[in-house]
Amino acid sequence: MSSPELVTVTVDDREVQVPKGTGLVETALAAGIEIPVFCYEPRLGAPVGACRMCLVEIEGMPKLQAGCTLTAQDGMVVRTAQTSAMAAEGQNATLEFILVNHPLDCPVCDKGGECPLQDLTFRYGPGRTRMTFSKLTTEKPIPISPHIALDRERCILCYRCTRFSEDVAEDGELVAVNRGARTEIATFEDEPYRDRFSGNVIELCPVGALTSTEYRFEARPWEIQNVPTICGLCPVGCNIGVTTREGKVKRIISRNHPEVDQGWLCDKGRFAFPALRAKDRIVDPLRRVRRRGLGPVSWDEAIDEAERLLREAGSGVVVVLSGSETNELAYGLAKLAAALGGSVVLPEPDVAPLGRPLSDLAGAASVVVDDEVPLEESAPIAALWAKQAGGEGEIALRVPRTPNGVGVAEAVARAGAGSASNSLQLASGPALLLVSGDEAASDPAVREMAENAQAVVAISMFQGLVLGWADLVLPGTSYLERDGSMTNMEGRVQRVRRAVIPPSPDELAWLAKLAARLDVELSPYASVVYEELFGEPFADLGEAAPLRAAAPEGAMTGVRPRTGPTGTRLVRYRPLFSGPAVERVEKFSFQRPIDEAGLSREDAERIGVRDGHPVRLRTNGTSAELRARIRRGLDAGVVLVAEGTAENLKPGPVEVTRA
Amino acid sequence: MPVEYHVLAGAEDRDLTQLDDYRAVGGFESLAKARSMEPAEIVDELLASNIRGRGGAGFPMGKKASFLAKGTGKPTYLVVNADESEPGTFKDREIMFRAPHRLIEGCLITAHGIESKNVFIYIRGEYLHEFEVLRAALDQVRKAKLLDGVTVVLHRGAGAYICGEETALLESLEGKRGQPRTKPPFPAVQGLYASPSLINNVETIATVPAIIAMGGAEYAKLGVENSTGTRLFSLSGNVVNGGNYELPLGTPLRELIYDIGGGIPDGRELKAVIPGGSSVPVLTAAQVDTPLDFDSMAAQKTMLGSGAVIVIDDRCCMVQLGLRVAQFYMHESCGKCTPCREGTRWMVQILEKIEDGRGEHEELDLLLSVCDRILGKCLCPLGDAAAMPVASYVDRFRDEFRRHVDEGACPFPDSPLDHVLAPVDQHAHEVHVVP
Amino acid sequence: MIDRIREIAKQYPDSRSAVMPALRLAQEERGRLDREAFEEVAFALDLTPAYCTGVASFYDMFHLEPVGTQLVEVCTNISCALVGAQEVLEAFESELGIRAGETSEDGRFTLRTVECAGGCGWATVVAVNHRYREPVHAEDVPAIVEELRDAG
Ligand SMILES: Cc1cc2nc3c(=O)[nH]c(=O)nc-3n(C[C@H](O)[C@H](O)[C@H](O)COP(=O)(O)O)c2cc1C
Ligand code: SF4
Ligand code: FES
Repeated sequence: MSSPELVTVTVDDREVQVPKGTGLVETALAAGIEIPVFCYEPRLGAPVGACRMCLVEIEGMPKLQAGCTLTAQDGMVVRTAQTSAMAAEGQNATLEFILVNHPLDCPVCDKGGECPLQDLTFRYGPGRTRMTFSKLTTEKPIPISPHIALDRERCILCYRCTRFSEDVAEDGELVAVNRGARTEIATFEDEPYRDRFSGNVIELCPVGALTSTEYRFEARPWEIQNVPTICGLCPVGCNIGVTTREGKVKRIISRNHPEVDQGWLCDKGRFAFPALRAKDRIVDPLRRVRRRGLGPVSWDEAIDEAERLLREAGSGVVVVLSGSETNELAYGLAKLAAALGGSVVLPEPDVAPLGRPLSDLAGAASVVVDDEVPLEESAPIAALWAKQAGGEGEIALRVPRTPNGVGVAEAVARAGAGSASNSLQLASGPALLLVSGDEAASDPAVREMAENAQAVVAISMFQGLVLGWADLVLPGTSYLERDGSMTNMEGRVQRVRRAVIPPSPDELAWLAKLAARLDVELSPYASVVYEELFGEPFADLGEAAPLRAAAPEGAMTGVRPRTGPTGTRLVRYRPLFSGPAVERVEKFSFQRPIDEAGLSREDAERIGVRDGHPVRLRTNGTSAELRARIRRGLDAGVVLVAEGTAENLKPGPVEVTRA
Repeated sequence: MPVEYHVLAGAEDRDLTQLDDYRAVGGFESLAKARSMEPAEIVDELLASNIRGRGGAGFPMGKKASFLAKGTGKPTYLVVNADESEPGTFKDREIMFRAPHRLIEGCLITAHGIESKNVFIYIRGEYLHEFEVLRAALDQVRKAKLLDGVTVVLHRGAGAYICGEETALLESLEGKRGQPRTKPPFPAVQGLYASPSLINNVETIATVPAIIAMGGAEYAKLGVENSTGTRLFSLSGNVVNGGNYELPLGTPLRELIYDIGGGIPDGRELKAVIPGGSSVPVLTAAQVDTPLDFDSMAAQKTMLGSGAVIVIDDRCCMVQLGLRVAQFYMHESCGKCTPCREGTRWMVQILEKIEDGRGEHEELDLLLSVCDRILGKCLCPLGDAAAMPVASYVDRFRDEFRRHVDEGACPFPDSPLDHVLAPVDQHAHEVHVVP
Repeated sequence: MIDRIREIAKQYPDSRSAVMPALRLAQEERGRLDREAFEEVAFALDLTPAYCTGVASFYDMFHLEPVGTQLVEVCTNISCALVGAQEVLEAFESELGIRAGETSEDGRFTLRTVECAGGCGWATVVAVNHRYREPVHAEDVPAIVEELRDAG
């Protein structure tokens, strides 16, 4: 590619050079000048020029122009409100018109203090109101989903949310209805906005029209702290900001990493944090009392007990990892196992990183995934990148099944632990099974292993998962409560920061103690462990981590679309909205695909069903009635049924009929 | 008075909805001639004719055709704007129900000229009869094998004035809400389905056969300089003989209203004339000698627009006129850009208050200021179309506005526009505001 | 209906263009656009029902609420209003016993005003189920209503 031609543009008497075609808003910014905007958001596609906030004067053009719709041309002379009375008048007019129907309820608005409209009114707006008539009023706020409230009076019709829905998420659920002054944002028949990316519209909204129901009235911007960290719920590793107040997580927002997430989050990443406060959260160590029950014990007792179990088991210890550990925790556990001569079960032994930025998917002609399950279930933001594909070449992709499968594998290897690569080898029964994390704890295969183990130690956040089969339970923590690093599906090592203090010491803290008892050297500080693990300074892990060059070349060649049976076949999958955290947040229930059969359009048409209609599925002599859910982009023949739904049905050939 | 018909030629004494009748008056001879010419030659004739668009903006058709992007690898589309919704305008309708074949012939000639194989005619949804006439005519043309590989699709609108604006029309034709696009890119480069597209009004296209028949240079001799040819003027309002009249451009307004239109009925006086559809500034009775051409109208600070002449007699209250016009644009604002959506509603509120006799003098200035703040700041010209005429009413009839304030009531008890129920009030009770 | 919609869609390079004709078809069939109409149109054209409501609600000729079998529309834009459209409208209101914007209880008549219908020189324009009658004067209204009542 030849480097783009540079052009010289003058903005408010300042000359600046930018590549030809750069947007005027960005061009002005390069000259240190702000062109205020509302509707403009380059991530949503071509500019629409709707709000008229960005009016500027261009030499040689008689009328004001919407700066957001123009691109830099050589010799262009631009005047913003700073130096053009006409542009200043235009911006002032736009703000006056916006405020004509905008309620002045800033004191009770969640956006207050971080509201572009409030800020721009302060800077460019009319000082007093000339509008003495009644404003448009609507019922407010109305929930457009359990996660999101819509206040139509505050809406300034910038169409960011609807453009997101149509052009980015491509869900087509959130639309503008009616015309003119009666235009409003709506869903079909007031049904909840169900798409897995819905929460992004909250952040896109430049006013307080779309707000988070979880965050409503929870905090004012000047009382909060935003901690930059990484989402630990899937292998994408989106960059997030965690808003906390008085030691509690109040919301999660994106922190645009242009190569990883483009500033989008899925709803799981955004809305799952209330699980931190789940009723069955384990805050004290628990030990088995009587046959099935668990009772709290002190930390001293717990460490003693753990030490005893480990010493007894010796090389018979088997550590099962979830793949949600930080690199440092996985390293610590593996180091301990190695010192004892035990082994480690990796969540995915054959995992490989993509080795290139996810943003490359947008530049590919096509993205091949070796799975019939849609990408949006396993790596949702990768699916958004793949939707943009329209360039050249093909990129093959195999998605790790766990959030830090890549990092855990590397950490274990570097710790020199022997891996029990196959759970079948363990059928004979280990002396001590150490189960790390909720995903492992809820895995039926792990439960089976536990049946055969002589003793079981589990690290878990939630009681429900460990009740009845662990001898000793040590409280687990969430990625929001940990320090360290995680490695995403690209192979990018990213910094995880503790946003809130966990209700009990984090794993690395007590693991270090336990290690000391066994004469294994392990620091309780993630920074020290990181340096031991990677041989690089922890401080070098910046806020927006680069991709390490060392990623194995061509790791993904050989990935091919799965060519299995071609008939109509039932495919089991783990939905995005599943897992221990999701299950503990009631608000997710409307998004969970329980009792649903995902069908391609072709199959729905052949069977004669529409979205939501009942269908009957028959396999191996049994049957179940589910609701049809038509899924765009699904291969014909694939019938998707979530794990946990109609478990009598077996994967493989299936007959689907109208019920 | 010698009238030379071009667009409606032959329709006085024949049923031009029938292909045979149309052929009997020379129909489709221009098409045959055109097809024997090179496409570029046709565009040259259009350039030579200097014909300006009949839809409202008056842009030279030949120039627009020559702007079409070439060699894009995409098809070129011809889109005919038959959405005719500008208040006062009903000429395209008459062309379609009286001379549908001339429109089709114009389409086929133009398509040849721009090397297009696909023509879309976007016809306003309310025009059911005209749609049926056009469809029948198209069938005859198809059977007569005159299409020569060109497809002509009739696409019906569904009731939205804004879809007459060319980019909103394209959006609507693509199956979207009819909201205008930002320009650039211009339709000539990225129009329908992001392909180069030529968009012209029904009358413009229906004039093309005459241009080809006469030759562009000859056609340019009709009318006056800078406003060549004939136009169909839609005459309505307080006039004896309302209707469409095809006249050479440059005909004095007085001739249309008095000689052809029969003057003001019931012995009333002329108060004002809207010369180009509701979106243009008003003329006072004193300006009635203005010739009907682009430049003469511009000299009077108004526009020829769609050629819709609305005659207003002395009973009419200009505040009510302003209110009714503002209500129309508020109803038809697409809602995309801020100044138009919010400004038209605000205008209605101020005008309601003044008309009710509850206004203050400062509110006349406020009204002008709101108009001024809409003007030139919107995404498409609809906002201007609301602001310009209303500002002109205040400007040219300020006395009447003042009297509403001073007398605390409307001083025109016999005005026919008194309390006319506008759709915006009927469909949208929630936005009908009583301050 | 799905097949008919797809037949229409073939006229266009992009099937989305068929959404308005499809909505019109569904409305003709069902009297108005209800939930099922949107679902059918959306399915036929691979759009979402929400998208289709967004389009339909933009245009005045699509009915999201039930309308009478006889839709009487009176133009009250300036050219018609200047020659007495309001009187014509009021005559319809009193003859039909409903106000503009309403539907008669028996579901037979809906009366509404519309913006410029494009018959300004032949004012006042009245459309019954989109068939124009022009000019209509207030005194013509009783006969028109009688005719419509007889038509059933
Ligand atoms: C709000 C608005 C409404 C318009 N309505 C129409 C219309 O109904 N018919 C029409 O031909 N042009 C209409 N136009 C003008 C078109 O945008 C466009 O200029 C025209 O169709 C080009 O054709 P012409 O060059 O042959 O006039 C309208 C423009 C605006 C801004
Ligand atoms: S000026 Fe009016 S009609 Fe035009 S884009 Fe703006 S809101 Fe829509
Ligand atoms: S930011 Fe340019 S019009 Fe909205």
